[in-house]
Amino acid sequence: MSLKYGVMGLLAEEPLHGYEVKNRFEAMLGGTWEVNIGQIYTTLQRLERDGLVRPMGARGDRGKLLYELSPDGKKALDEWLAQPDSGPQQLHEDIYVKLLLATRLANGDLAQLLGRQKRAYLQRLRDLNRLEERARRDGRIDLARLVRGALLHTEADLKWVDELTADAHGGKTE
Amino acid sequence: MSELVRLTDITKVYQGGITGALNGVSVTVERGEFTAIMGPSGSGKSTLLNLVAGLDRPTSGSVEVGGTDLGKLGEAGLARFRRDHIGFVFQFFHLLPNLTALENVLIPAQLKGTVVPGRARELLDLLGIKEVADKYPARLSGGQQQRVAIARALINNPTLLLADEPTGALDMHSGEQVMELLGRLHRDGQTILLVTHDAKLATRHAARVLSVLDGKIVDDARLESPERTASEVIRVRSEEASR
Repeated sequence: MSLKYGVMGLLAEEPLHGYEVKNRFEAMLGGTWEVNIGQIYTTLQRLERDGLVRPMGARGDRGKLLYELSPDGKKALDEWLAQPDSGPQQLHEDIYVKLLLATRLANGDLAQLLGRQKRAYLQRLRDLNRLEERARRDGRIDLARLVRGALLHTEADLKWVDELTADAHGGKTE
Repeated sequence: MSELVRLTDITKVYQGGITGALNGVSVTVERGEFTAIMGPSGSGKSTLLNLVAGLDRPTSGSVEVGGTDLGKLGEAGLARFRRDHIGFVFQFFHLLPNLTALENVLIPAQLKGTVVPGRARELLDLLGIKEVADKYPARLSGGQQQRVAIARALINNPTLLLADEPTGALDMHSGEQVMELLGRLHRDGQTILLVTHDAKLATRHAARVLSVLDGKIVDDARLESPERTASEVIRVRSEEASR
């Protein structure tokens, strides 16, 4: 995920100053990605250097300085939006490495690991369900869609753990 | 809460195959609980439900529901127990095609010797389908048929509502509506045992998940329901931020 394009996307709606970018960015993501104001200013400076955004008006108090998207920025943003995410699959969680190690190490207890992980995934599903419900109730359809994505990912993770568990039992899966 | 169901060291052996067999299952369910039973097909989860319903008998071990030991009941006693205490919802609705929705809902009450058309209409209203009362099942959508089946399961005010893959034959939207309904019944105090393979739907309402594998309960997860903020449940972050 790219903060750079997130910032450009918000500026495509209307010119904003740094704090507005930070607040709107965090609100858009429902608090699932917190950024500090320093990151926002660094990003804006890089974008300005590359000609993708430009400051409006005189450069005084930098907190008050409004930025707008340049025509080059608009073009770069459109290209990015049109591009599918086709890079390698991202597996960030520790469980993947834990699984490999538990399989290799003589004292790695795979069944216990899988059991605990299953509970964690079930709890996450429950939390995500409640979050999705709340987002819909609040009229945040965009956020509900993000949560739905997380929900389906967690469902897949759970199926994976179930498969491994059935494997370990020498049984079969659906 | 007080105990409603107690299974003690249940085994169930089927002639000529191991599919659906149970092997040493002990578990209790409290009144007012919404419990989901999950597991691969053939793991024994439906067998478990059928034993609690008194639709089937264990090879060994005991099934107690509301203090009644089902093993001590004869066939007639078991039929009475089912009629008075159990509501059962199936994957494929099992409505009688030559009866209207209302008449289908009334069957269990008539078997009990009570006439409660007002209660039946109330239930159809509660489930949001009062307008289909006089229609035949063939004229109803899957979601409507399942709601009629739920009304039928509730007509005798069952102590225990059992549902075996109630969303299995429904599209996603109808399935969510049916689960929403079960959630509402639970909030009103109904004890529910639900067999499902859909963890997304199960965890939305059930705070307890039993995992069945090869005839055994391999996990009994009790889930928490705190109000968590989005940032406590999901992190969307950049490569820079996670470095």
